[in-house]
Amino acid sequence: MLLEIFDPKAPARAVGIDLGTTNSLVAYVRDGAPTTIEDCNGSMLTPSVVHYDARGHAVVGKAAQALAAESPRETIVSVKRFMGRGGDDPETRRLGPYRFLPPESDGPNVVRFDVRGRAVTPVEVSAEILRALRELAEDELRTVGPCVITVPAYFDDAQRQATKDAARLAGLEVLRLLNEPTAAALAYGLEQRTNGLFVVYDLGGGTFDVTVLLLEDGVFQVKATGGDSALGGDDMDRLLAEDLLAQMGLPADSPERTPALVRATLDLARKAKHALTDAPSVTLESPRGDGALTLTREALERLIAPLLARTGAACRRALRDAGVTASELDGVILVGGTTRVPAVRAYVEELFGKPPLAGIDPEGVVAMGAAVQAELLTNASRDGEVLLLDVLPLSLGIEVGGGVVDKILPRNTTIPTGARATYTTQEDNQTGFVLHVVQGERELVADCRSLARFTLKGIPPMPAGIARLEITFRVDADGLLTVHARETTTGVEQRVTVKPTYGLDDETVERMLLEALDHGEDDLLRRRVLEGRVEAERVLRATEQALAADAALLLPGEAEAIRRAMVALTEAAAGDDPARTRSRLDDLDHATREFAGRRMDQAVARALAGQRLDAVEEGVKHAKGVENAHTERPLD
Amino acid sequence: MSAVSSSASTSAEASPFATLGLEPAFDLDVAALERTHRELSRALHPDRYAGAPAGERRRALERAVVVNQAFRALRDPLSRAEALFALRGVPLGDGHEPQPSQAFLMDVLEWREELGEAKARRDAARVAALGAAAKEGTERVLRALASAFDSEGDLRAQVALLGELRFFRRFAEEVSAAEDDLLDAP
Repeated sequence: MLLEIFDPKAPARAVGIDLGTTNSLVAYVRDGAPTTIEDCNGSMLTPSVVHYDARGHAVVGKAAQALAAESPRETIVSVKRFMGRGGDDPETRRLGPYRFLPPESDGPNVVRFDVRGRAVTPVEVSAEILRALRELAEDELRTVGPCVITVPAYFDDAQRQATKDAARLAGLEVLRLLNEPTAAALAYGLEQRTNGLFVVYDLGGGTFDVTVLLLEDGVFQVKATGGDSALGGDDMDRLLAEDLLAQMGLPADSPERTPALVRATLDLARKAKHALTDAPSVTLESPRGDGALTLTREALERLIAPLLARTGAACRRALRDAGVTASELDGVILVGGTTRVPAVRAYVEELFGKPPLAGIDPEGVVAMGAAVQAELLTNASRDGEVLLLDVLPLSLGIEVGGGVVDKILPRNTTIPTGARATYTTQEDNQTGFVLHVVQGERELVADCRSLARFTLKGIPPMPAGIARLEITFRVDADGLLTVHARETTTGVEQRVTVKPTYGLDDETVERMLLEALDHGEDDLLRRRVLEGRVEAERVLRATEQALAADAALLLPGEAEAIRRAMVALTEAAAGDDPARTRSRLDDLDHATREFAGRRMDQAVARALAGQRLDAVEEGVKHAKGVENAHTERPLD
Repeated sequence: MSAVSSSASTSAEASPFATLGLEPAFDLDVAALERTHRELSRALHPDRYAGAPAGERRRALERAVVVNQAFRALRDPLSRAEALFALRGVPLGDGHEPQPSQAFLMDVLEWREELGEAKARRDAARVAALGAAAKEGTERVLRALASAFDSEGDLRAQVALLGELRFFRRFAEEVSAAEDDLLDAP
């Protein structure tokens, strides 16, 4: 170990992170193959459990899990289920040992766990898990670069934003939020040998996703996605735990149901579920030490049947949205630890009429796919090999009169995307406007998820119906929404303040960030310097590559100007002033702007010109790919 | 607040056909459309600009958004028809679109009633039959639209077809929802 001196110049490696409900993993691409990183005990799974000790310090993973039974209220399990949710969410009232604090009256409406009297938000808990994963990766790679973090495809905007906030708090640069089923498809390396239509059935600890995707010539195109962001193995554990508590003679309102007993019974239920994968029945010792309890596989199957039916309904809808039938599928991929339950596998096989593929460990596959994407995004030599075209999982809309939703972007729209809508005032001399942005499929605002309220002020007084408020929605490749509002008759961009309904605002995240760092401002500055360096290196590499690839598109003198900007950026990045690095990055962007535009035009022209040629090859490739799909190893 | 319009595009922008390098037509080869979209995504998707300076990333994102909007507009026959009417200078939306014919409205009432009854009786076969009828109706309207766009005649007279198409779409969704209900709670 003494010889392994920390090398600040060691290239930062991009990693992929699966931030799961039950377990989290980190992976990277080693010698061309995605590899999950194991801890010193040889385990790739870090339990997504965070314990706060008496001094308020966080303990993460197995050590935290071991403390869950004795201090159930100070140990947060399955925090993912609370991400992006309000303090009044029904999720907070389900079977579990926690105590919650009400949201601050003028603060953001987020879940706040009461841990020894201190409020802890799910974003902070998740940041602790991410920090632990980063440290795990640093032990193996020394320097960890930017990352790709996976989220359930069915996560809404608030849940995605919360995940990104957690990463920011943990000091991780996020290249991309990637949908878990898409990551799994990538890990299977399907693009190397197959064209065809696939379904990914992803049942994790707390979330269910189904994704229909078409793979053609290295492009994964998500056709439709569906699911339930509050349905998973946890729910099975709760049902089993209720059954065990009933066997112990403790009805739901029994005062003997202490937090410790509930936690212990939930853990016991999880163990029983695992044991029932191989055995037809298990005998368990009561957590109160007063006798034996029994669970059979039949009982498990009966208890979880309604949960499986809910996944089935989501699958049918996804197939319909994609405009395909089960018989057209070339393969079904299983993802998530809960798909180890035999009854789940049998259900999936019956639902889709074919045995699912399960060549890769369903628990490691998502992190591996994230690692592949991180590599594709940072390794210029692999640029363009594979492309993921994902979709918006839930429709976006705006509240109009009568609590009705005006849908602006429908679900399953390919992202990035955008849309524009125009509204007008209802009253004379109305100078302000509140826009309520919601997400969901239902027609009434009350049945959808509230995302944010935008207050637009400073509209010049005019009669009702004259003002034209133009609302522009933009959804990026991470599935994150930004909204702009403008009053067009005066042409003046109005002041808009945004209040996320269930999220943290920027200042809150910034404050948490300072609090989380031992030396506040100093550490933050050091972090900004490092981030600037990483960004500068990436941009310099990409620019170098662009100059080499498209020298023919350069105008006289252009290359020299770009080179000068590159030298200036290199110098700035070597220093320790992040603002200067940022400004040199802008200079380089300015110097390459026209050149980059010409490259983009050329790429578009080639794409449009290539259409006819591709059409000929298409038929041949498809026929070949479908055959290969069926040679894939079926379930053992 | 009241909505004036909520169309996904405005007339000031390039036509979706132009964006995707296609001749304006109602009868489109959907497979070719998807291939073009794929190739353009390869050229413009933000992931291809992960190493680019922030400004360039932003500009690529803008262009990728325009391509995806055009793709969405043309893949769906309803919005494709709307785009074609717009290209030919036929105004759409409230106040411009004529009411559907009396006969069509009578049919609509009848279908709605039948679906409601079939749902109440949990008659899966009848629900499925109504779904098939909606599909047939959709195809009939699509054929009518195709020949309208082919002909040199006055397109204004054909705008009512859009209303019929929207009805069939909503009806098909209601049928699907009814089918789901029957499957979910047997």
